[in-house]
Amino acid sequence: MPKARLIDVSKCIACRACQVACKQWNELEAMPTEQRGSYENPPRLSANTWIKVEFRERPNEWLFRAHTCMHCTNAGCEQVCPTGAISHHGEAVVIDQEWCVGCGYCAQACPFHVPDKDEITGTARKCTLCVDRITNNLSPACAKTCPTGAIKFGERADLITEANNRVQTLVNLYGYRRAQVYGEHELGGLHTLYVLTDTPSVFGLPEEPRIATSRVGTQWLSGVIAAGVIAALPFWLLFQRKNRIQSERESKEGETR
Amino acid sequence: MTTWNAPIYVYLWLAGMAGGSYFAAFLADRFAGYDHKRLTQLAIQMGVLPAVLGVLLLLADLGNPLRFWHLLAEFKILSPMSMGTWILLAWVAIAVIMNILYRYEGHHPEPRVQAIHKLNSGLGGLEFGVSVLLMSYTGVLLATSNRTLWAGSALIPPLFVASAVSTGIAVLIAYILVVAPVTIGRTAEYRLPARLLTGSVDWAIPTRLVGRLWEAEAVVILVELVVLIGLVTWLGSSAMAGAREALNQLTFGALAVPFWVGVVLLASIVPLAFDMMSPGKELHRREVFRVALASSVCVLLGALFLRAVIVIGGQI
Repeated sequence: MPKARLIDVSKCIACRACQVACKQWNELEAMPTEQRGSYENPPRLSANTWIKVEFRERPNEWLFRAHTCMHCTNAGCEQVCPTGAISHHGEAVVIDQEWCVGCGYCAQACPFHVPDKDEITGTARKCTLCVDRITNNLSPACAKTCPTGAIKFGERADLITEANNRVQTLVNLYGYRRAQVYGEHELGGLHTLYVLTDTPSVFGLPEEPRIATSRVGTQWLSGVIAAGVIAALPFWLLFQRKNRIQSERESKEGETR
Repeated sequence: MTTWNAPIYVYLWLAGMAGGSYFAAFLADRFAGYDHKRLTQLAIQMGVLPAVLGVLLLLADLGNPLRFWHLLAEFKILSPMSMGTWILLAWVAIAVIMNILYRYEGHHPEPRVQAIHKLNSGLGGLEFGVSVLLMSYTGVLLATSNRTLWAGSALIPPLFVASAVSTGIAVLIAYILVVAPVTIGRTAEYRLPARLLTGSVDWAIPTRLVGRLWEAEAVVILVELVVLIGLVTWLGSSAMAGAREALNQLTFGALAVPFWVGVVLLASIVPLAFDMMSPGKELHRREVFRVALASSVCVLLGALFLRAVIVIGGQI
C-alpha cells in the first residue's frame, strides 16, 4: 500500500518546527537571512531548506502552508533528468547525489518550483520524504515533530479518506466553502496531499499542474514544421525557382543577341 | 534567482548557429542544383567551432563538470537535454568525419574519390536532418518545462529555429565576405578582408550566392518576427498563470531594453532595413560589402539578445 504525507493547512500554526526538524535530521545548513517585513523565513525553498512554511495575510486571517516536494507519481523532474539521477524509491522521488551532474533541468521542470541547485555540492537537492526514515518504518522528520498534527504520514488511501472528512467539517462546520483536498489526482497522484481552506491558487499552488513532458512531442513537431516552412519559403523559392527564372532569362537574352 | 544564465543562452545561440549554417548551406546547394558544394563544405568546417564551444560552455555550467559522462550513460527520449546531448554529439561527429573526407577527396585517384564523394553526400543528408533536430532542440529544451514563457505555447521551438537559420545565414555571409578563401560558384577571386575594407583594390565576391543568401535571410527574419509577434500576442491574451507577468517583464520590466533594442531592433528591424537596401543588386562595391557585414553582425548579436531575453525572462 502506497504511503503519503498529508498537510492540513487549517491545523498549521506556523511554528516552523517542521523546518527545524528537517534541517536537523538531514543535516542541512542554516541560511543567512534578513528581516523582510514578514515572519516568513527563509525567503524560499532552496538546496538547504527542503520544507518551508509560507505566510499569506488576508483581512482577519493568516494562511499558512508548509511548502515542500510533492513526490508526484508522474514526476516531471524525473522524466527530464538527462542522467537518470532522479528516481522513485517507493513513494519518494529522490535525487542521487552521486550521479546528479547539476544541470538544473529538474528546477525548470517542476511545477511547484522545488528542486534547487546547491552551489557547494554542485547537485540539485530537495526533500527526500526522509526516505532513510520511512524505509525503516519511521515517519518523516516534519510529520514526527509537528505539534498540532497538521503534518501526518501514513497509508495514502487512509489519508485521503481523512482529508475528505476534514474538508466536510471545514465546509459544514467552519464555513470554508472552497475547502478541498489537493493532490489526490494531480500528476497521477501526489504523495504530499493537502487539505486547503481555499482554492489552490490562493495558497500559491497551480490549479492544474502539468507534467513538463506532456507536450514534448508537440514541441519537437513545432520546431520541425518551422524548419520545413523556412526550407520551403526562402530556400526553395529563392535558390530553385528564382535561380531557374534568372537562368532562363539569361539564356533568352543570349539568344536575342 | 535564475538557474540558467549566460553559459546556457550563449550555448543555445552557438548550437543554433552551427545547425542553422549547415541547414542553410545544404538547402542552398540542393535547390541550386548542387551549384554551391563549397558552401556546404564551408558550413561544416566553420560549424564545428561553435558546436564544440557550445559543448564546453554547457559542461562549464554543470554543477559537476567532471561527471559529464553521466549524460552519455542515458538515452531518454522524453528528456530534451538527454536527446540534445546525443544530437549535438552526432552533429559534431558527422561534421568531423565530413571534414576529414573533404580533405581526403582531393588526394586519391578517381574511383576512390567517387566512393568518398558518395559517402560524404549521404553523410551530408544525415547531417541536414541532425541540423534540423539540433535547431529544434534549442527551443524544445526550454519548452519542456514548467515556465510559462517557455512552455505555455508551442512557439519557442519555431522562434529558435527561425533565429538559428537567420544566424546561420548571417555567419555564412560574414564568413564568405571576411574569412573564406572563396572559390564558390562562379567566382574565384579573393582579397584580404583588410584590403577590402580599407584599400582601393578591385574585388569580387560570389554575387548571386551572397545576394540569394541575403534575400533568404530577410524572409527568415520576417518568419522570426511573425513568430515573435505571435508569442507576444499569446502572452497578452492568455489566461495562464504567469503569462501577463512574463509579457510585462519583456515589454516594460527589467528586460525591456534588451528586448526592444536587442531583439526587435537589432535582430529584426535593422537587418531587414539593411536587407532591403541591396539584395539582388551588384555586390562589387565596398559600401555594399560593409552593409552586408553590418547586417550579419546585427543578426548575430540580435539572436544572442533573443536567447538571453527568453532564457532569463522565463525564470523571473
